[in-house]
Amino acid sequence: MEPNGQQFHVVGSRVPRVDALEKVTGRARYTADVHLPGLLYGVFVRSPYAHARITRIDVSKARALPGVMAVMTQQDLTEDQALVIQEEVHATRRVLNLFATDKVTYQGQKIAAIAAVSREIAEDAVRLVEVEYDPLPAYIDPRDAAKPETTMIYDDRQPVIGPHGETLHNVAGESHHQIGDVDQGFRDADRIFEDTYIVHRAHQTYIEPQSCIAEVGPDGKVTVWSSTQGHFAVRANISSSLGIPLSQINSIGMTIGGGFGAKFGGIIDTYAVLLAQKTRRPVKIVYTREEEFLDARPAPGAVITIKTGVTHDGTITARQAFALWDPGIGSGGCGATGRIQGVYSIPNVKWDAYDIHTNKPAPGAYRAPGAPQATFASESQLNRIAHELGIDPVELRLKNMREGDQVDFKATLKAVADHVGWWQREHDTGPNQGWGVAVGEWTNGAGPGAAVVSIHEDGSVSVFSGLMDITGTDSAMAVIAAEVLGVEYQRVKVIRGDTDSAPYATASGGSVITFSMGNAVLRAAEEARERILALAAEQFAVPVDRLELRDGQVVDRDHPENAMSLAEAARLGMRTIGGPIVGRGAFAAQPSATTIAAQIAKVEVNPDTGQVRLLKYVGSLDVGRAIYALGVEGQMEGGAVQGFSWGLMEQMQYAIDGRNANPNLLDYRIPTAMDVPYVESVLVEVPTKNGPFGCKGVGEPPIAPGIAVVAGAIHDAIGVWCNEAPITPERVVMACQERKDGVRG
Amino acid sequence: MRPFEYCAPSTVTEALSLLREYGDRARPLAGGTDLLIFMQSGRVQPDYVVDLTRIAALKGIAYDPAQGLKLGALTSMREVELAPAIRAHYPALAASTFELAGVQVRNMATIGGNTCNASPAADTIPPLMALDAVAVIAGTTGERRVPYTELFQGPGKTALKRDELLASIDLPPPSSRTGSHYIKLAVRKAMDIAIVGVAASVTLDDGLVQDCRIALGAVGPTVIRAHEAEQLLRGKPLEDATLKAVAKAAQAAAKPITDQRGSAAYRTMMVGVLVPQALRQAAMAAQRTE
Amino acid sequence: MAKDRHEEQRPPSRAPNPVSSTISRRGFLKGIGTGAITAAVAPAVLMTQPDTADAQTLPGITQAQITLKVNGKPYKVDVESRTTLLSVLREKLDLTGAKLVCDRGECGGCTVLMDGKPVYACMMLALDAQGHEITTIEGLAAGDRLHPIQEAFIEHDALMCGFCTPGFVVAIKGLLDKTPNPTLDDIKRGVSGNICRCGTYPRVFQAALTAAQKMRKGG
Repeated sequence: MEPNGQQFHVVGSRVPRVDALEKVTGRARYTADVHLPGLLYGVFVRSPYAHARITRIDVSKARALPGVMAVMTQQDLTEDQALVIQEEVHATRRVLNLFATDKVTYQGQKIAAIAAVSREIAEDAVRLVEVEYDPLPAYIDPRDAAKPETTMIYDDRQPVIGPHGETLHNVAGESHHQIGDVDQGFRDADRIFEDTYIVHRAHQTYIEPQSCIAEVGPDGKVTVWSSTQGHFAVRANISSSLGIPLSQINSIGMTIGGGFGAKFGGIIDTYAVLLAQKTRRPVKIVYTREEEFLDARPAPGAVITIKTGVTHDGTITARQAFALWDPGIGSGGCGATGRIQGVYSIPNVKWDAYDIHTNKPAPGAYRAPGAPQATFASESQLNRIAHELGIDPVELRLKNMREGDQVDFKATLKAVADHVGWWQREHDTGPNQGWGVAVGEWTNGAGPGAAVVSIHEDGSVSVFSGLMDITGTDSAMAVIAAEVLGVEYQRVKVIRGDTDSAPYATASGGSVITFSMGNAVLRAAEEARERILALAAEQFAVPVDRLELRDGQVVDRDHPENAMSLAEAARLGMRTIGGPIVGRGAFAAQPSATTIAAQIAKVEVNPDTGQVRLLKYVGSLDVGRAIYALGVEGQMEGGAVQGFSWGLMEQMQYAIDGRNANPNLLDYRIPTAMDVPYVESVLVEVPTKNGPFGCKGVGEPPIAPGIAVVAGAIHDAIGVWCNEAPITPERVVMACQERKDGVRG
Repeated sequence: MRPFEYCAPSTVTEALSLLREYGDRARPLAGGTDLLIFMQSGRVQPDYVVDLTRIAALKGIAYDPAQGLKLGALTSMREVELAPAIRAHYPALAASTFELAGVQVRNMATIGGNTCNASPAADTIPPLMALDAVAVIAGTTGERRVPYTELFQGPGKTALKRDELLASIDLPPPSSRTGSHYIKLAVRKAMDIAIVGVAASVTLDDGLVQDCRIALGAVGPTVIRAHEAEQLLRGKPLEDATLKAVAKAAQAAAKPITDQRGSAAYRTMMVGVLVPQALRQAAMAAQRTE
Repeated sequence: MAKDRHEEQRPPSRAPNPVSSTISRRGFLKGIGTGAITAAVAPAVLMTQPDTADAQTLPGITQAQITLKVNGKPYKVDVESRTTLLSVLREKLDLTGAKLVCDRGECGGCTVLMDGKPVYACMMLALDAQGHEITTIEGLAAGDRLHPIQEAFIEHDALMCGFCTPGFVVAIKGLLDKTPNPTLDDIKRGVSGNICRCGTYPRVFQAALTAAQKMRKGG
């Protein structure tokens, strides 16, 4: 309902996805499905060692292999090209070499790139490249890498003194913050809890691998097709990495088979362009699944020690955290420690967090970057506090939740609790069964973008922009345009342009799109609407405010016989000075409001084997306004599964020498159809001021609480706290064993 | 994959002749769900691939209450999963296919391939061992029969020589008071490799365990029989005190390693948990046959 | 008729080393048509050696022109012995619905039907696909008329990024053609070899149930 009481006719309805047909028929064209004449295949020579000095690289045999068109190492790059600057939506800007030169710092790091006429020949050439190494000790745990006796991964990093006076090495970044006075806050507390939580790195495991094709024209113009969340970001990255002017690059965003934060460019596209420049032929690079694990951008791990002070009645007086994050050779992530504040009113907060280099690839965002890790610590401990104080964990949260403008956290939490019958759950709990609750949050950012809405001579509508649809946002744009223009959803076409043709669009990530591009499309549709109304007003000789758009027509409310179809209006427009009916809209930045995801799970634990079965999983989400309802539910459900999956089974594992132990889909486990319960979503709507129709970003919050939810449910079922995620059956059994041995209380 | 020469013999004789000629440079191909993965990853690089799938003599399931079960080596996992005779009379073997990979793999993978690949974590090997299976091996000089207890020599290694082929797997006829069961411990309910696999077979006589078999998977370089544990159970009733001792003996027989799927400590603990469970289930199955 | 995209770039035929005198007589596929009890296998076009029982001269091949029956149509393609069925579908027949995701038989993205049974095209040599009926996602719709499973997927929004979708749809067809009245457990088992990351499983199950209903009614 709009604030003025009007009913929406499309917003919130369950219309099908605009691209459903092409996807169910297999006709959707993803990047690897594209063939070009003369296409070459690009592959990489990679380091088998996690940490080593390189003493010799010899590519001569590879270069000589028939069918090989180019072999490139760092030697073949110019001074300007020696760097790739990665700009990601949430991570810090960092500078890395395109290829390793004198040192490798993670297994799989690129040493050379090869383009050949077939993938098989390219792989044969890889085997002919000779590289000699002097291995160095490798670090897979940030706690080890931070110790004074370590070998530095980057020689120029200075040691840092931590908050307890300890010296930390291999520090890649820091984040410190203080609100109020935590010492006083702890003095005010009746009880203080301190626990350490560990989360291991997880891979986003999008089903479509990193893929791109690059082609260079005779004039040096670069064309790139990529599987990406932001083709404008790809263009910018290639430009700054290789010194090519933006206007000389056309970046085409293809239908994407999952990204979740890991596909903002910089991993393979730069190399495809280099090889295409060298060979003057189009080059296709598609990652193997193993390469995804070795050299993509998985989510960072973290070791977070959190200390919380509470009064006897459960009011939080202070929270403090010390965290070591594991971002591999990159940085960016430790700032997420601030999420320990959650959606609560906590007067005193402090955190000291460090990114510590390990011998693993750089990190990327995985939906709500850093949130599942930090939320595991903060929400798991809240569940423990609730248990120790004898207070219901939902009540404890309601007691401490903030209230505010454009949000209603309490209503959202209550909604999921009511939905599952939380207050009567003891009647629905069998042996070794338990319930867990946790709340995650995210505030969507905003990004610049523009859109153009056209009304065609047949009355159909097209929405043109550079928006990359990763979550169904194309459909949301169609809903917005249809709502504003009073046409059927099916009459709206959403068209994505490449960077040559489309106005700038911010990359899809950070839950920004429906909020940002939605505003651009809203404004464009409104401008088109104004033009239509003006044309009709003149035609009927009536004031504009008597006219409305509905059912594909513009109608005089007082005299409905004054009516004109959108088609007629469009044709009329073309005969006037104004020309074809076009609306333009642009958007840059506006604040949004926090979205929370409150989730509850019911589990059954096998206390002998530690296996955990999810019986029920429900989440509520305060979405502001659900514009494309099916899409919103999909985000809620998909994010929830990713969250609890990380909580139960996902871990990138490494051997002691730093090599990947499970770089495949067999041993890096994500749930199969046999492993997921029915996930229900409950949508709460508290409209924002600035989002189109009051919406806000929903893609990210649903992943945040999952780890804490399952940890809480496991404790409720069998009485052990598991503070290391993923909580595999082995970890459950070992936790039970420790409790039996009296190791942990 | 590297290039290779492909041959598709239509008889066992032709296949054996090829394998003899090419020796270590050849690999036989059945369902491909192991071999092709190894070839894609470079772990195995044969110069010759001898495709067995057109050899009629390696196919078919035959069951006779007096003779027992004969499984052609090329029988697919899916056929094993669905065969009524196997579900009825060799339940552990049927059970081992229910959570084996996913339906696509089961349509392609063969029971012979699972045995010859000889992973210590293979799902069908513990049940076959617990059911006293015998490998019928075809060689250029004739056929030989090797019980499953003598078939495995190490991870990926069987007693088959390079110029031999597993032709069929024979299981003895079921006796009326015998039941069997297989438990696979894994994180996921599909597409997962066993962290521990336990197969048990129990023959009851008047409430006592007349005979039993316990086969352990994924806790040693090969699937192993827990002989001492079996001995502790023979002649005894299936009750808590006995099972406690049996579990301990089974744990002593296990020699697991720590790898990405689990630690040796956890695996050993789970042997102790799952052996009694498998025995109880097998006994229940035995009672159902009476 | 399938176009061989890479004709001018096909890597030279690489027979394994060392070359012995017996190998040099080889080059043609022989004998795959006889004796198979499952299906009649079309002999390769290049067959010229007589069919003998003398195993000593049994030839092997590194490449051949073969005929594959896909979605009811015969296609003649040139393949190497190491070419997988997935590779042929995607690179030579322009049937890109089956996806290359893991190439290790671990995810289901390449699921096709072989004689009605769901299999992984990445785990099958093209040579072994001869003589079988192969069905891909492209073979489900009849012109503009969607298969009931596809309609149900749209109706229940059983897809998000869509990359796993062809594999799921084909696996479900394999299931429903054999099990027209499946339980929820049957459906889960039927797609147990298909991985989704976007979180569509519950809607996939709903779509499969709806499709089963439609198909039973003759829709």
